[in-house]
This record gives sequence, structure tokens and C-alpha cells, in this order.
Amino acid sequence: MFSDRSSNLTWHLFAVLAMVFMLSPLVLVVFFSFGENPHSTLPVGKLTLGWYEKLFADPNFWRALRNSAVVTLSVGVLSTVIGTLAALGIARWRATNAGAALTVLTLPVMMPPLVLSLALATMFSTFGVRLGLHTVIPSHLVFTQPFVILIVYAQMANFNYAIIDSARDLGASPLRIFFSIILPIISPTLVGAALIAMAVSLDDFIITFFTIGSGMTLPTLVWGMLRTSLDPSINALGTLILAATISSSMLALKITQYRG
Amino acid sequence: MRNAWRHRLTVLPAVVTFLFFFALPLCFFLVISFWHLKHYKLVPNLSMDNYRRVFEQYFDAGVFTFGMALLIAAITTLLAFFIAYYIRFRSRRFGAVLLFVVLATLFGGYLVKIYAWKTILGTQGILNSMLGSLGLTQEPITWLLYSPTAVVVTLVHFLVPFAMLPMYGSLRGVDDVPLAAARDLGASGRRVLVDIVLPQCQPGLFAAFALSFLISAGDYVTPRLVGGPHTFMVGNFIESQFVNRLNAPIGSALSFTILAACLATLFAFKRTVAHLLKAR
Repeated sequence: MFSDRSSNLTWHLFAVLAMVFMLSPLVLVVFFSFGENPHSTLPVGKLTLGWYEKLFADPNFWRALRNSAVVTLSVGVLSTVIGTLAALGIARWRATNAGAALTVLTLPVMMPPLVLSLALATMFSTFGVRLGLHTVIPSHLVFTQPFVILIVYAQMANFNYAIIDSARDLGASPLRIFFSIILPIISPTLVGAALIAMAVSLDDFIITFFTIGSGMTLPTLVWGMLRTSLDPSINALGTLILAATISSSMLALKITQYRG
Repeated sequence: MRNAWRHRLTVLPAVVTFLFFFALPLCFFLVISFWHLKHYKLVPNLSMDNYRRVFEQYFDAGVFTFGMALLIAAITTLLAFFIAYYIRFRSRRFGAVLLFVVLATLFGGYLVKIYAWKTILGTQGILNSMLGSLGLTQEPITWLLYSPTAVVVTLVHFLVPFAMLPMYGSLRGVDDVPLAAARDLGASGRRVLVDIVLPQCQPGLFAAFALSFLISAGDYVTPRLVGGPHTFMVGNFIESQFVNRLNAPIGSALSFTILAACLATLFAFKRTVAHLLKAR
């Protein structure tokens, strides 16, 4: 009995340490963004919103924000539509074929981003494609659509196809079936999948960096701040990025109940 | 029949995206590794020169990168396994919170996380000032930042949520009944773990290891920002061949050499794990 309790204690201690390890870096960034000390060291100093004011006064921030918004929204919509269509089709395939298709379409997530981005950059430059947001969007799409496909596929695997059969027997067209039966049932999942695709796209730095040309998004702006001088408003920008990506993933997890 | 066609047709847009923005660029990138540069222009060719140069110039960097990636993948997989194990078997309530936290930080803040570790591990950083004020160290520890240690810590922190996803997925599928039966029949906790739990989560173990191994072997941002002047990983060389010397062929040969080596390693890893966990 005693040994069981002490081993449980060890486990709980481990879990708390794991939690601290995962959270403390993020908490610190938020913490520093509201402190007066510009060196990101302790003590943080008086409470201030100065770093946010400095960030909002920077025209580059607004340019990057606009570009990030365009890319993230386009990628969110496109990967949700394309990924959902794919998942609906694959869900009706035989299990072995479906498994193979899912594995192949998920390969872009496994590929080191550096290799993929250089391959894309080389292709664009060889075929004379000018770089810009229009090259960033499809480059993001290829590694955000797997998330949508996997999430929607997981839901369609437990879908009750009998309702579709009865709707068809009653004379409903495929489009009618999609819009009045399938879509209402899976729409929470779609919202969640879209949010995850958007978080992935919003956070991407490497692929964006090599496919955007001279423009900038929020992560490339962070990169610039990290490389040049230690600009303390980086904490404020980091907090904003964390807030956007974490809140959208949390919302997505809540909505979809998706856990791996 | 019409149905079967429709189920193939809806997959088409995803397949087209995959072909044009993944398969095609990678095939072209592979072809380029056999070409060479002349006056900053790509000239089609079929030579192994680039690969020979890769082996001559970057062999040491490759071995170092491999060691780092193996270490990072091993730590990440172990940590993810223990966290997932805790959530699945040890605690309902705190486990759910932990899972939510880990997954919520999954999709955000790649650069922000690297930056955060920079502020934690520096000589003036949080860790050193805490150790100092607790009286545990007299002088700040200088090897925490700008060292291989910093790269390992930062990448493990970044990769654990990714590894957790497949790991928890496969642990969740483990049925409770056989575990209880084994325990009732007198199996020790270790036996239950090795003979029942681990064999069932092999796919999760492999996916977690593969993902963290591939991502860390190909990363160049983390070593650049927290690795210091001596921690050069292959990604840094690939990037500098590309950006500074505009030498796509060498960069490409280097990329595919490291990818091939990674795939061979993963194959070996899969075989070894399957062998170790085979029912006795």
C-alpha cells in the first residue's frame, strides 16, 4: 500500500514538472511583455503597456499583420474546403486504400520544413514565378490540409451512413444530402479543423521566409527582431502570436473533442 | 459505380495540391542535385560530384547532426510517453488539464519559444538568477545558452506536443481488461508495461520518434539562434549554401543525403523496436 502511494506521488511530481517545463517559457514571454525592464531579466520592473505602444507605432507591424491575416484566412478557407472534400471521399474507400492515401497526403507534415521550402523556392525561381503572398498560400496549403483531412476523416469514420442511404432512397440529390445532412452534422468539426489549419499557417516561419520574397508576416517580423537587436517589443509581439495561436487551438480542441 | 467515381473525384483538389506543391518541387529538387552551377546559372548534368563533395566536406557535420537528432528524438519520445502514460493510467483530472495544455501549445509560437529559451538560459537569464539567489551556484553557468545543450532543451520543448499526439492516441487504444487480468495473475508492473502496453503502442512510439527525429535533423533556426558559434547542424549548411552562395545543387545534394540517412535510421529503429517488443 505504502509503495503504491509513494509511486503515485512520484508520478504527480513528474506531471507537475512536465507542466512547468511546457508552460514556463510561454508564461515568461507574457510576463516580460508587461514589465518595464527592457533586458528580459528579473526583476521585471513596473507594470507597463509601453512595449505594446511601441509595437503598434511600428508601420512594419501593421504591414506584417495585414499579410499574416490574408495568408491565414485564405489558407484556413482553402484547406478546410479541399481537406473536407478529400476526407469525405477517402472515408468511403476500402480501409487499406484509405490508410495509404492518408499516409501519403500527410507526408508534407513529416518533411523537414527547410527541405520543402528550398524545393518550393527552387521550383518557383526556375519557372519564373514571382514570389509573394500568392506563392505563400499554396505552399502553406500543402502542409495544413493534412490536419483537416485527418480530423474530418476521424469524424467520418464513425458516421452513420444509413441516414444518407435513406435520404437517397427518398430522392435527395447528392448536393442536397451534403448541405442538409452531412454539413450540419460535421460543421463543428470543420470549424475546429479550420482553426487548427489557421494556427499552423499563422505560426509558420521557415516556409513563409523562403516563399514570400521581400514581404513579411508576423513570424518573419519576429525573426528580424531576433536577428538585429534585442528589441523588447518582441515580448509584446510574441504574446500576441501566442494569444492568437493558442486560443484558436484551444477553441478547436474544445469544439472537436479531437485528442490525437 | 457512379458513387465510386464521386468518392475519387472529391479527393482530386487535395491530390493536385499535393502533387504541385510537394511531389513536383521535391522531384525537381532531387534532379537538381545532379546538376551544377556555371556563372550562377543551373546547368543540367548527370554527375555525382555534389554528393562526393557532400561526403568530403560535410561528413563531420552530418555525424554531429545525427547524434543531436537521435538524442533529441529519444528524450522527446521518452518524455511524451511518460506524460501520455500518466494521463492515460495515473490521473483523470490533472491528466486532462495536462493534455489540454500540451495540445494547446502545439500549433503556436515556434520562434517565440526559441526566443523564450534564450531569455531563460542566458548568463543573465531566469535560470541562472534563480540558481544564484538560491545560493546553489556562485557564478552563472555559461554553457546553458549558445551550446548544444540549449539546442536539445529548446527542440525537446518544441517537439513534445507533436510527439504526444500519436503517443496518446495509441495509449488511449490500450484496453484496460487485459491489464487488470495480467495484474490479477501476478504480473509485475514492469512486465505489464513491457509485454502488454508497449507492444500495443508501437505505432505511436514510432510516429513520435520519426517526427521528432526528422524535424530536429532538418532544423536550422534553433541551432542558429541558441546553438552558439560552434553548433552547426546540417540545416545551417544547407541554408547557407542556398542563401549565401546561391548554390542550389550542393544544398539539394546535402538535403537528400541527410533525408536518405534519416529514413535508413528510422527503418532500423522500427525493426529494432519490433524485435525488442516481440512477444516472448
